[in-house]
Amino acid sequence: MRNLISLDSLTDIVSNSVGILIIFAVINLIHDNNKTYQLEIPLEHETDLSPVFFIAKNDRLLVLDTDKVFSNAALQATTGAAGKKRIFALDFFGLFGQIDEEKGISFYARDTSEWPEFIELEKRNSSLRDKLNKIDPKKQFAYFFVYDNSEDGATAGSGFEAFRKAREYLKGHSVKTGWQPVNSEAPANICDSSYSSRCVYLPSYLGGGNTNK
Amino acid sequence: MAMSRAIKAQRYRQEEKLEVSLFPFLSIFLCVMGVLSFINVLSSFSAPQKIELTAQLAQGYKVAYQIFNLPDGIIHLPPMSHLRELQDAVDEADKETIEDIIRRRQWVINKLERHSGPIMNAASEPDIFDIQEIMHDIRSLNEIALKANYLYEEFLLFGIYPNGGQAYQKIRDIMSFTQDARSISVGLEPLDSNWTLNLKKSDTQAQ
Repeated sequence: MRNLISLDSLTDIVSNSVGILIIFAVINLIHDNNKTYQLEIPLEHETDLSPVFFIAKNDRLLVLDTDKVFSNAALQATTGAAGKKRIFALDFFGLFGQIDEEKGISFYARDTSEWPEFIELEKRNSSLRDKLNKIDPKKQFAYFFVYDNSEDGATAGSGFEAFRKAREYLKGHSVKTGWQPVNSEAPANICDSSYSSRCVYLPSYLGGGNTNK
Repeated sequence: MAMSRAIKAQRYRQEEKLEVSLFPFLSIFLCVMGVLSFINVLSSFSAPQKIELTAQLAQGYKVAYQIFNLPDGIIHLPPMSHLRELQDAVDEADKETIEDIIRRRQWVINKLERHSGPIMNAASEPDIFDIQEIMHDIRSLNEIALKANYLYEEFLLFGIYPNGGQAYQKIRDIMSFTQDARSISVGLEPLDSNWTLNLKKSDTQAQ
């Protein structure tokens, strides 16, 4: 027994490590509690750029192919969908549409399972990334209809996180973005500003405000 | 000599008996260290970030009138920090207008500060008259500042919480038929439900 190595130094090291860990934990706690956020200051502004529309829901993003969607809606309009305000399938990623004189075309996103998830933005060569890369910042800007619905107030279910990630990605490519919150009662709609003053889709500046302590 | 050897041997036996094993002690320490490390790692990965929003927000001469849109309604936070300076730079008639606006805004802030419980529960349904008055005040201040050649402009900054879109749409509807709102710049930002408002913090404190 006498020949055993003394454990005093080892105990000392271990006790010191525990103490440091406790100090780190306390500092971490204080640090987190004092975290203050300054909102970004994105101001809507007039532009000559044309919008590329997106819908963000359930952590997924859909790039609206307006040519395809409008031609499908026009076909439905010829069958009386506009007068009856009938909701019809747009044959585009599970989207449904409704034509209204004041609101133009409203989009109802019921099934989003076919939409690409926003995490695909992190993958090289993903189709979502390709679509975003095709936006020409000199001619176009991205406009997002972002679903604000969420269960139990959690982010999951809404399109907030998907929108934030896409905006960050586009900001890195100098593409301006604009957005508005939508939900099933007030769905995304594209209309002409000559019909209603609400039919305006503007990009925003992204200011220098960010997370600060 | 034999006597001293006997004493030494006895002492040696006593020391041997008194030796305490450090293994249980070490074992407890290692366990505590492991648990603490585990909690630390877990909290850094899974715990939602607690974020507080500043009550007063400005970027250069542009000052935000913040409206937080929640499922139960809105909380509006008028900016106050530069109004006294603006008041000093304008003529007498405009001084009175600014004084009225300051009084109204102070009442709003006092009401929020008096609110007991979480501040986010202070949300109320957007009232048409209130929204119109907010627009009118912002427009008046911007015009007064412009007339006095004073660098100051207020804009509306909407913070949208999950399920807060309805309140936002209602305000934008009111704004669409309010003449005063036409000249006011607007910005909007999505917020998460765990982001809370801290009335005590201004943007200068946050930097």
